[in-house]
Order: sequence, then structure tokens, then C-alpha cells
Amino acid sequence: MSHITQPLEYVGRPARRVDALGKVTGQAKYIADYRVPGMLHAHCLRSTMPHARIARLDTTPALQVPGVRAVITSEDFVNHGLYGFPVRDKYMLAWQKVRYVGEAIATVAADTPQAALAGAQAIVCELEPLPTLFDARRALDPDAPQVGPDRNDGQHPNLKGDHMLVRKGDAETELANCPIVLDRRYFTDWQEHAYIEPEGVLAMPTPEGGVVVYAPNQSPFINQGNLAMVLGLPANLVRVIQPTVGGSFGGKDDIIYESSAQAARLALITGRPVRMVFSREESLVASYKRDAMHMDIRLGADRDGTLRACWFRGILDSGAYASETPFTAWRASIHAMGAYRYNACDVDVYCVYTNNGYAGAFRGFGNPEVCFAVEQTVDELAEMLGMDPIDLRLKNCLRLGDETAHGQKLNESVGLIECINTVRRISDWDRRRAEYSRQTSTEKRRGIGVAIMYHGMSLGAEGADHAGATISVLPDYSVDLTSGLTDYGTGSRTVYVLIAAEELGVNPDRVHIQRPDTNTAIDSGPTVASRSTVLGGNAMRAAARNLRQTLDLAAADLLRCDPQQLVRAGEAYVGPDEEAVAWEKIVDHAREMGLILSAHGKWEAPKIVWDHHHGRGTPYMAYVYGAQVAEVEVDLRTGNTQVLHIWAVHDIGKVIFPQGAYGQLYGGITQGLGYALTEQITYPEGYIQETNFESYLIPTSVDVPEITAQFIESAYSYGPYGAKNIAEPSLVPTAPAIANAIAHATGRRVRELPMNLERVLLGHDLQPPFSRKPVEAALKIPPRSMPQTAPRVYA
Amino acid sequence: MPMFDYVRAKSVAEAVELLADTQCVSRPLAGGTDVLVQVRHTPPTFQRLVDVSRIPEMKIIERQGDEICVGAAVTYTEIIESALLRETATCLVEASRLVGGPAIANAGTLGGNVANGAACADGVPPLVCLDALAHVRNSAGARAVPVADLLSGPHETMLQRGDLITHFTFPVMPDGARSTFIKLGRRNAQAISRLNVAAAGALSSEGRVIFARVVPGSALPRLRRFVEVENMLIGERPSEALFETAGAEASRAMVAVTGRRWSTEYKEIALQGLVARALRQVFTVEN
Ligand SMILES: Cc1cc2nc3c(=O)[nH]c(=O)nc-3n(C[C@H](O)[C@H](O)[C@H](O)COP(=O)(O)OP(=O)(O)OC[C@H]3O[C@@H](n4cnc5c(N)ncnc54)[C@H](O)[C@@H]3O)c2cc1C
Repeated sequence: MSHITQPLEYVGRPARRVDALGKVTGQAKYIADYRVPGMLHAHCLRSTMPHARIARLDTTPALQVPGVRAVITSEDFVNHGLYGFPVRDKYMLAWQKVRYVGEAIATVAADTPQAALAGAQAIVCELEPLPTLFDARRALDPDAPQVGPDRNDGQHPNLKGDHMLVRKGDAETELANCPIVLDRRYFTDWQEHAYIEPEGVLAMPTPEGGVVVYAPNQSPFINQGNLAMVLGLPANLVRVIQPTVGGSFGGKDDIIYESSAQAARLALITGRPVRMVFSREESLVASYKRDAMHMDIRLGADRDGTLRACWFRGILDSGAYASETPFTAWRASIHAMGAYRYNACDVDVYCVYTNNGYAGAFRGFGNPEVCFAVEQTVDELAEMLGMDPIDLRLKNCLRLGDETAHGQKLNESVGLIECINTVRRISDWDRRRAEYSRQTSTEKRRGIGVAIMYHGMSLGAEGADHAGATISVLPDYSVDLTSGLTDYGTGSRTVYVLIAAEELGVNPDRVHIQRPDTNTAIDSGPTVASRSTVLGGNAMRAAARNLRQTLDLAAADLLRCDPQQLVRAGEAYVGPDEEAVAWEKIVDHAREMGLILSAHGKWEAPKIVWDHHHGRGTPYMAYVYGAQVAEVEVDLRTGNTQVLHIWAVHDIGKVIFPQGAYGQLYGGITQGLGYALTEQITYPEGYIQETNFESYLIPTSVDVPEITAQFIESAYSYGPYGAKNIAEPSLVPTAPAIANAIAHATGRRVRELPMNLERVLLGHDLQPPFSRKPVEAALKIPPRSMPQTAPRVYA
Repeated sequence: MPMFDYVRAKSVAEAVELLADTQCVSRPLAGGTDVLVQVRHTPPTFQRLVDVSRIPEMKIIERQGDEICVGAAVTYTEIIESALLRETATCLVEASRLVGGPAIANAGTLGGNVANGAACADGVPPLVCLDALAHVRNSAGARAVPVADLLSGPHETMLQRGDLITHFTFPVMPDGARSTFIKLGRRNAQAISRLNVAAAGALSSEGRVIFARVVPGSALPRLRRFVEVENMLIGERPSEALFETAGAEASRAMVAVTGRRWSTEYKEIALQGLVARALRQVFTVEN
């Protein structure tokens, strides 16, 4: 390898997103834009009951509907299409039972979308109600209706996976000895991802008897594995290709794999391409959400504000299926005590089944939930002690060299103190805090609040953590990249292009990146946990360095020198005779030498040790940190909360693609703002009420406040160029910062999300009468086939 | 998307004739911001939409003596941009600014807002506050109906098949009168009003209330002036206590009609605050 050291040319500098132009000009094609000759349209029949036995399912009437070509049920899959990770509990189409309103039961393929819908409506499906469970806090009662599958390990069938725990010392005793103890209850509600592109898949049969599936996957390789399994095909006959994706936020996992399996089976049966695209309403009803979480937290401290103990119990309601939520529960348990030092810590999180839709992965993955609880409790502690909330945090927060509550020594890249100090300064915290504490108006008052957080990088102890990348020089001297990780709009493709350009010493305009395709890319695990920059970036860096080595060899040969004598002038190579030779010439020479101008790179994260039984170990390789300050104005007469300003300072290691990183931060704060104030999904008696954006309220451009953001680049030695990550952590502290600001403004705590008008004004939410109409309309169900009497409600 | 016919009318006469066609059930189409949302979920009850959005007679905004005339096909954007309305109908302009977002303001019309009959409509309380008349035409002739009397309940109006609202008129308010509009939604744009209030008022030279209008929206199944609140203001000197008492009276009057619903616990507090605030804006003389 060449030993030339130069300042970074592309990494960390302004760059254009590789996908920007296509998206703003409308050239980018999403699944809903794909049209292929002979394409059929698919539509699902979905459950109208939250929990029921499928007493009768007759698809023959659908086949009589003109234009209908095929209908499938769970019988059309191997083992009824059973799949799921880490808990295998879901079917590609419901088998024997349905467990939530909106669960897919059968899928029809027809010449037109109208015929497919008519076909789905013609299916005879008789559902026999089963006892329902909607209150997660009662899910593990001995007499709770069973929603989850049978377990033979003595655990309650409504528990998903194992219960998650963290233990340090004896928290009960430590709490008993604390002069100050706070005991609080918090609740965070369901959240919808609200990706701008609803679900869509296109499956094409191949002449070899296989299938090619285009889908906006969270992870094309997982989709491929599932498809091979449930279709009974060898994996090499199943190819999954990622088109442009219109956002995901964790939401394009299971629901996309299910739709893919349905479309693929229909394509194999009919021999024709089959496309299935959801309406927004169908997406909201059928898709998984962020879990709702019930939390009890106790914090113990000394009178001088030294935190001593944290006790935490969380019940994570993830609805009818597990999806990724056992992992969510694990991440929640690791972060439940917040970024602080304690003598003792005791955390338990239980992930349970109910008939409230279902939950899966969502940006932040358990941390936004627990951060809302711990960061408000810490604030209350400051209030009780008469301390400034930032001073209290500075006194207790994790620093370089500390040991976390789990027993992990933090040896490097801990920029939290710097985040807090910076956010204090740029938000003019002390002045505003003092000024707003003196208000007397009974109309509107301002408040300012802070929240801090840490967030474990990548998968941690969830499983194997590695990624691969390929790079090659094409005949036109462009450089072609592949990564097994997908870009839903996060900017990771641009990150990879910049890294490859940096390592090769070529202009980024020369570098192009494909979208993942299971036939060309290397399986890199799931695109989750904000792991693309570090995992994929390191793999891309390794691949580019491998190729660079080959090119350096060719250059040295052409310029008749030792590779170490080479320098670069722009893209050109310069040898001892000081004459610049164009990069293309070097490429030509390499080819003449018979060298192969393609390479791949792999990177594996440092080993993680976590003892699930004792709740101790090293849960993640390292952490990112952040502190956000929110300024609000609360209308004391109506509960209306305006967020005026957010200051956000995050330690994300080296910033590789600045606009991308800021974009993630602004976007995360916006999603956190919606989570804080307006986004609410309700499942009264199992029926979702919010089925479009007139009732599910994400922030508009006039709701988003001024955001002042800054990065602390506390380098992480294993990250590419010292990079860590940003995608998820950006939204984690937003809601608790706003909550703390509301408490500062009003003198009252809101301990439930979202902090809507009612909760801010009255201190509690109000329940509108529940209606099945939104679901009926969303699923286009003729009203007569909806259950006429309310299903039996547990307790 | 369901199928139906579309025809664009060039004049009121043509529109009325098309709407009267007994062979083909027709409905007016203005901005389409309600109609097109409705047909997405509910099969249309009509076979044809008669586009009235570009009929010149329905696009006027002008003063006719002591009256202001606003065409039914006037959009919110046109209302916002009208100097005449900014001067004579502040509450209507303020409401228009708070409707939906720019795209909805560019397409949505006042006539559509009234005819749609939603209890949460933002354009209707200002019209009722201004004592506006709706001028309705059909093949049998023309009639003028107070806007408040056109509304019969949530998504119900007294309009019959074949009726077309051509324009609205309202008297110019007394000298020195001011009006305002406050909207309370769950977010700052594209939000359905949880509550709104249109209010207007004027003071005598001695500083006593001689003219008062209070029209809360989203409060009652059938929108109307809160005359009981207006009456208690007349003759009084504006004060914080008066605004709060009026606000409390508005809440009481609301609950008297609606009884205690799921939202009452919230709305009775919020409405008091909004009515008091609206009156403060109308009656507080800036120095
Ligand atoms: C995203 C979005 C946001 C919105 N936000 C708001 C809001 O903030 N506040 C609010 O009040 N509304 C809001 N609306 C509703 C809607 O925009 C308004 O009610 C608008 O005024 C309707 O006018 P239009 O011209 O689009 O009516 P259309 O949809 O064309 O017509 C509505 C109804 O009125 C009838 N009609 C139309 N014109 C006449 C006429 N001249 N005579 C007789 N009948 C007629 C039609 O036949 C139809 O029944 C929103 C709608 C959307 C989609």
C-alpha cells in the first residue's frame, strides 16, 4: 500500500448527493412507477377482527371474478409461510388465526387493480372471534388471553423472546439508602414511520422457474432468504433487487417480505409479473409501528445531586407479532438508565403480545421510549434539588474512562461533556432559563429544556456484525461500487462514493454506486441500527484500498519506481521524474499487465460480549452521544405547544458527508417533534383510528422550528476516518427535551406521549368514541362484512 | 377512482341549466378539495361534476354601496390578496390564511366550504360573524338565505339538488368595528380546527360596546352566532373581567347544546380562552 499521506480531499467536504438530481427531477423510479408488459395487480384480503379463528376460507368465488388470475392463501407456502426473526411467529398469509385488524389472509392477482379488489372482496372468509388482549400491562397475567404461540420453556406465551435485563450491584438496597428517591411512571405511544413511499413490490417469474423481486427492502438478503424458504426454491433462483426507496425509518422489514412472498408466489403460479402497491390507508392499517411502552422508573440520588441508583421496569407492547421487537426491548434495556454513572442499576424490559396491530423496527429502536422517561426523571430530580438541569447532568454523565452500568469501560470517543457544554453555550441556556423562570403571564409562557442521550453503535450483541463491498473499474474508466446495505434516502450511497473516491484518489463524479442486488452485492446484514457508515464504510474503504494497491502497482511499473515514491496530483500519478500521468493511462497499463481491476472488501465489527442471564458485559462496540435543547411557547389556555427552537449537538465521530449528516439530524429532530407533540396511533378495541395524514399528524414545514446544529467529531478508532453514526440518535433526545421545556414553561409534567393539546392542558388524554369506519374505508370492506358486535374485551 | 362525467360551465345560467338536468345527477365542483377527497372512499352520489370554478360572475370581490359582495368561487388566496376584504372583513382574511396550506388555499373556495357543511369549516364562522347572505340560484329562480340558516347540521345543508351558491353579501360593519379569527388546530397547517372563533365588535365614543359578534366554530353541531354572549357584551366597557366572563358564557352555551361529550372537558376550557382572546383582540385599543 502506498504511504502517501495527504489531507482528506473528499471526505468531510461539501458534496452533492448521488441521488439528489434524480429525485428532484422526478426521474427516480419507485415501485409504483414500474410497469412491465403483462403485469398483474395484487390485492390482499385483510382481517376485520383483532383476534379470530379463520373458520372458513373459500377462495373459489374470487376466481369467478372477471380478470382474476390467481388467489393464494397460507396453503401456497412451505410450512404455511412461517417466518420471522428473532422469533418465528408470523405467516406470509395468516394460517388458522388472525391476531390483528389488517392482517393479510389471502392475496388475489388480477388484470387490473379493480379486479384484484373485487376478487379479494369475493373471497368467503368467516372469522370466529377469540378473546382479545389490548392492555399490555396485563399480558403476562396468568389468566390473560393467549395471543402468542405456545411455548414449551415454561415462559408465558404472551412474552416475546426472553425478558431483557441489566444488573449492577443491588439497586433496591442502594435506593433504600438514598436521601432522594423519585418514582415515576411514563408511557410512550405507537408511532407510524410515515415513509413517503407506501409499500410496493414487483415480482417477475424467470424462465428457469425462479423469481426476481423488486422491493424497497430493509434488507434484500433477508428477503431472499425468506423467499427461498417459503417458496421452496434454491436461493440462487431468487433474486432481490432494490429500487429507489422513498424512506423507511425501520419500516420496510417484515411487511415488505410478506408482500414480496405473496407477489412472488402469484408470479410463479400465473407466469406473469405481479405488482402489489399499498394505498396510504392500507399501509397505515397493515404495517407495523413503533411499539408503545409502559415504564416505571426510580432514581436515587444524594442531596448534592450525585446519582446513585436506577431501577426500571418496562413493558413493551409490540402487538400481535414479534418482528424485530425483542431486539428493541434489548436496546431499550441497555439505554434505560440513560448516559449516567450509577452505583447500582436494575433494569427489566418485557416485550409482550397484544392484539393492538403490531410493532417492529423504528428509528431509535427502544431508545426514544426510555430516553423520554429517564431524561424527564433526571429533570425532576434537578427541580427537587434546586439544581440547574444541565449542571446535574454534567455532574453525573458518562465521561472518557468511566464504566457504564453494564460494565463496559469507555476507552475512547466519548464526546458527551463537550456536547452538553456546547449546547449550553449556543442556546444561551443560562440566560433563557433564568428569564423564562420569571414569567407571570396566564396566556402564553415560554420554557427551555434539555435532554441528553447515548446510543450504542450498530447491532451490538444482537448478532454477527459485518459488511462487504465491491469496487471495479469499468471500460469507460468509471468506478462501479456495490454495497449490501441499502440507502432509503439516508445518504449512505453518497458516503460510499466519497470514501471510494478518497481512497482511490479519483474525482467522485467518476464513481457510481449500484443499488443492492442479491446477485451482485455481498450480504452485509440488515441495513438497521445506523450501521451503514461504519460497517459499510469500512468495507468500502477496504475494497477501495485493495483496488488502489493494484493501481499503485501498475503506476509504479509504468513510472519505473517503487510504489512508495508515487505521489498524486489530482487524479494523476506522479513518479520520480515529476511527470504527471493520467489515471486512465494507469488503468490501461494495469489492464495490459493483466491485472484485475476489481476488488472487494469486508469488515467485521469488534467482538461483543453480553451475558443475557446476568445483564452484564459490553453491549456495543462504542456509543454516539448527543444533547438537545428545546425552547417552547405553551398556550396556557389551550395546551397548544409551539417549539420555537432546537439546538442540537451530537458527537458522531468524523463527519464524512456533512450535508447528509445535517440532513439526518434535521430529519430526526422533525420526526422527534412529531413523536413529541402530534403523532398518535390509537387501537381502541384493536381498530386503528388514524389511517391517513389528516388524522396521523406529522409536522409540516411551518411546525418545524429553527434548528441550530453542531457536530462534535470525537474520533472513533474503528470507524472509517474516525466516523461513528447519526441516523437514529438524532431523534432520541427531541421529545424529552420538549417535555422538559413544557414543564419549565407550565410547571407541570406531561408523562405521556404524544404531548397533545389535551395532555398539556388537562394532564391526561381524552378518548374519542371508537369507530371501525377508518379501517373499513382503508381496506375497502363492504360494511356488512365488518363484525357488528364489539369483540369481547379482556377485563 | 370512481367514474363520473365532468363539464365546465362558462356562466351561472349555463351552470344552473346543467345542474337542473334530470337525466344526469349533477353536483357543482369548485376547487374539488372536498369532493375529490370524498369520492376516494365513498361512491359518488352524482354522475357528473359541473365545474363552476371559472365562472366570472362567481369570482367577483367588490363593494356595492353598503354591502360587500364575494363570489362563491373566490379562492382563499384571492381573499387573502384582496385589499377590500383586508379592510372590511379581517376575520375572513385571517381565516383564509389559516386554511390548509398554500395548495388548498389556491384551489379551495368559500362556496365549497359553505356547501360542504363541515362543523369545523374555517370559512363559515367569519361569514356568519359578518351576517352574510348566501345567494342561491336554481332553475326555479334565486333566493338569499343567511349563511347560518343554510347549515342544518354536520355535513348537512339546506341546499337542494340543482342549487348553486353564486355569491355572498354582507353589510359593511359599523364605523370603527374590528374583526378577528383564531384557529386552534393540532398542528400549524393542514389541520382540522379543534375549535375556532370569529369575532367582531365596535365601541361607542364613550368606550362602551355597541356592536358585538361571537361565532365559535367546531363547537356546535350547527354553527351559529352566540347571541347570548353578544348580548352580555353590549353596553359594557371592555375589560379583562368582561372578556373572561364572556368566554365562560360561551363555554356554558356550548355545553348547554352539546351536553358532555368526550371532548367537552377540553373544549370548555379552551373555548373560554379563545373567546376571551378574540374579544381582547377586537376591543383592546392599542395606544
Ligand atoms: C389537505 C386539505 C386541507 C384542508 N384544510 C382545511 C382547513 O384548514 N379549513 C377548512 O375549512 N377546510 C379545509 N379543507 C377542506 C376544503 O378545502 C374546504 O372546505 C374548501 O373550502 C372546499 O372548497 P372547494 O372549492 O374545494 O369545494 P369542492 O370540493 O369543489 O366542493 C365541496 C362541496 O361544495 C359543493 N359546492 C362547491 N361550490 C358550490 C357552489 N358554488 N354552490 C353550491 N355547492 C357548491 C360541491 O358540490 C361539494 O359538495 C381542507 C381540505 C384538504 C384536502
